[in-house]
Amino acid sequence: MTITPIIGLEVHVELKTKSKMFCGCNASHFHVEPNTHTCPVCLGLPGALPVPNQVACEWCIKLGLALGCTINQDSFFERKNYFYPDLAKGYQITQLQKPFAVNGKLDVDGRLIRINRVHLEEDTGKSQHVGGETLLDFNRSGVPLVEIVSEPDLSSPEEAKKFLIKIQQIVRYLDISDADIEKGSMRCEPTVNLKIDNVFTPLVEIKNVASLTGVLNAIQFEIDRQTKQFQEDGITKATGEKTTRGWDADKSVTFLQREKEGSADYRYFPEPDIPPIVFTKDQIEAIRATIPELPNAKIVKYKALSLSDYDANLLAENLAFSAIFEKILGGSTNPDFAKFITNLLIGPLKTIEITIDKINPLYFQNLFDKKSDLSSSVIKQLILESYQTGTDPLVLAQKQNLFQVSDTGALQDLAKKVLAANPQAVADYKKNPQSIGFLIGQLMKASGGSANPQVVREILEKLLK
Amino acid sequence: MLLDKSILELAAGLRQDEFTSVDLVNECYDNIAKYNDKINAFITILPRETAIKQAQSVKLTSPLSGLPFVIKDCFNTSGITTTAASHVLKNYIAPYDATVYKKLLTAGAILIGKMNMDAWGHGGSSENTDFGPVKNPWDTTRVAGGSSGGPAAAISARMAVFAIGEDTGGSIRNPAAWCNITGLKVTYGRVSRYGSIAYASSFDTVGPMAKTAQDCAIVLETIAGVDPYDATSSPISVPSYSTLLNKKVSDLTIGIPDEFFQAGLDPEVKTAVLKVAEDLKNAGAKIKNLSMPLFDYGLAIYYLIGPSETSSNLARYDGIRYGQGREFFTDETTRRILIGTYALSAGYYDAYYKKAQQVRTLFIEEYKKALTKCSVLLQPITPTQPPKIGELMSDPLQNFLADIYTTSQNPIGVPSLAFPCGFTKTGLPIGAQLVGPMFSEDLLLNIGYQYQQLTDNHLKSPLSKGDLEGLKPKP
Repeated sequence: MTITPIIGLEVHVELKTKSKMFCGCNASHFHVEPNTHTCPVCLGLPGALPVPNQVACEWCIKLGLALGCTINQDSFFERKNYFYPDLAKGYQITQLQKPFAVNGKLDVDGRLIRINRVHLEEDTGKSQHVGGETLLDFNRSGVPLVEIVSEPDLSSPEEAKKFLIKIQQIVRYLDISDADIEKGSMRCEPTVNLKIDNVFTPLVEIKNVASLTGVLNAIQFEIDRQTKQFQEDGITKATGEKTTRGWDADKSVTFLQREKEGSADYRYFPEPDIPPIVFTKDQIEAIRATIPELPNAKIVKYKALSLSDYDANLLAENLAFSAIFEKILGGSTNPDFAKFITNLLIGPLKTIEITIDKINPLYFQNLFDKKSDLSSSVIKQLILESYQTGTDPLVLAQKQNLFQVSDTGALQDLAKKVLAANPQAVADYKKNPQSIGFLIGQLMKASGGSANPQVVREILEKLLK
Repeated sequence: MLLDKSILELAAGLRQDEFTSVDLVNECYDNIAKYNDKINAFITILPRETAIKQAQSVKLTSPLSGLPFVIKDCFNTSGITTTAASHVLKNYIAPYDATVYKKLLTAGAILIGKMNMDAWGHGGSSENTDFGPVKNPWDTTRVAGGSSGGPAAAISARMAVFAIGEDTGGSIRNPAAWCNITGLKVTYGRVSRYGSIAYASSFDTVGPMAKTAQDCAIVLETIAGVDPYDATSSPISVPSYSTLLNKKVSDLTIGIPDEFFQAGLDPEVKTAVLKVAEDLKNAGAKIKNLSMPLFDYGLAIYYLIGPSETSSNLARYDGIRYGQGREFFTDETTRRILIGTYALSAGYYDAYYKKAQQVRTLFIEEYKKALTKCSVLLQPITPTQPPKIGELMSDPLQNFLADIYTTSQNPIGVPSLAFPCGFTKTGLPIGAQLVGPMFSEDLLLNIGYQYQQLTDNHLKSPLSKGDLEGLKPKP
């Protein structure tokens, strides 16, 4: 029996525009006093009309372009009709027939995952169930939401998670959303079924997944559950039917929500209150021009500098971090320098918050040039101090006398004194050459820590011969 | 009576201290007190004292300053009940103002009432209301027309200087015809819809209702224009309509589409409407008979797309936020919601909603073509004389057919001016409509004005005819 998981993801990303999708209300809603960011439009009051947010439309197109999509120059909004207490108008304004962007792709570790669509819609309000009562908060109602729908090209929970992380990185690179899964500004609904030999198990859409680990675990659970289920009942997928299961993160199980539902009839039709939205080729190109180099391109570039896969991914993780790396690197193609910077960035500098403005590439270059005269722990210490004080690390090293003394003449004199002062240690060495460590320590101490340990060992060994 | 005067005469009189805004307000309230019980035009009558206070302090900054007006109860007016004539919104007080209302307040006009109508605009007789039917001031056993029946009846019975109505498929024109007033269905996008409770969003238009074309021109100047709150409002600049009324009609060709004058049209209505062509011809216009073979599909397009949109627009009244549940929708409204829901449903969408939109596109071409052969089209407004109260309500299909001539323009978006063109032998008003290309309000008002210089039908009021039934002043 060959089992292949078939996984598609529907990802929702809340745009961080100042105002909402169809009105001027403040779009922030996380930890905001309920129903304070509302107006007749986002409350769906009688007679109120939606006016689309231009920035949100542009950002949706930007994301579409970043995901390699074709942009529909003539796009329009539609109404998706359904009843729910937190749906103020009884319909959601979204896109169906002509989304802003279609037919994209995303490289996930060398596999091209197809993107079906990237469309723009409005978020709903929030229902809170408190002690048998339901409270409604419309602060989130009308917040712009981009929906990214993948084709069912993903074949493992890990790959799904990586896809999601890639989307998150791209969205953050584009600076159009916080894409914070825990805060709900990024949400994910996986659809999972299995190909078992030549048949398919029923489609299951998983709701309420609220973390990256959740995505991983929920899909894995579903793969296991469907395998077992199929072995028990042998039921295969029926056309147009989809079961919805919720993810219970505490129990780590999915549970049945709606069974074998035909595709719900949302009575979509073009939103008559909003004229079709037309973007010219020039406008689309102008949007494309605002897209920075994206993570996948950066990873390729970094690996060409002989950085490890791990390091390249880490540097490309977010735009600010990679920008710092590239600022320090300047035009250099020296793999040693790249590695040197990487070690400092993902080492000592990762422990504090750094901003690109305070980074002086020259200081890194200076340190790199003198790295053989400084111990690695001293380099780490210097780069931190240099960043915090804005001083050239070499000046700091000079002041604190941190350069390793490699002047063998001076060291030799010092070594003779150390040997003379420690006859017992010298005697020990004669019996056991491993005990030289003690004498090295003494000489280092005598040099004030500035001696190069390798040079110290060489001198001592020579004198003790 | 001051209220027989035109807006320009009133504006001049106020400035020359012949009378005051308070006198005007008092005259309106006196007429309301005398006649509203008979015709039931109002849903909310604002307190007289409030209106008088406004009148006392009014500054004459625009031709509408100090003039009392009424609006259909589908317009949001903050602090004042807005019901759309439905108990679903019984006691609903809007927290914001419709753009049209705001503009009129800025112009210094004085709101005195919110008017009765078919609930949500669903109807052509103002009987589909939870506040009792509006009765025709010319014969109170008959309907006033609808859905803007309240505003039309009030202007007719001289209860206000002008009114704001809303036309989705004839809602301004039909009651204008039956109540003997002038009403303008504007080009879609000419006047902001913000704050007007939606019936069918792609058909809804907000327009003036008054005694004359000139009055409508003055009101339109004030309320038209692009609105940042309505994405469908047009950025096309607003002409000063009232200064463009004097052109002679001699350069114009009046088109008469045969299909609008076939069987089903009351002979008296037909004669009166065709008399308009004759009058304009006598004034120098050319007359051209033409054909609009797609006419038959107009009603079908309207009654598929309109209910589809309304089924969605009324979804927000889900019983959670407005106090009253969906069980308060009337049978007529429920019927339209069901038709629309059906037309949009999976499996039916292509056959109904989508097909209707396709035919709508053809229909737009049909109108364009017809309007290349003539300057404007002359059409009847209603196929019949005002029916007796109850007649249309007992026959839903007949009710739909009452809109046959007025549902053909809204899917296109073109403007149409409705104006009085005569009376039946029994003394009931008859109206005609002139339909022009998109944004040709200036032309329509110009022709309307010229026609009204030649005729006096529009000057007749049910009050001046003391013999008309039902309007004897209360003792």
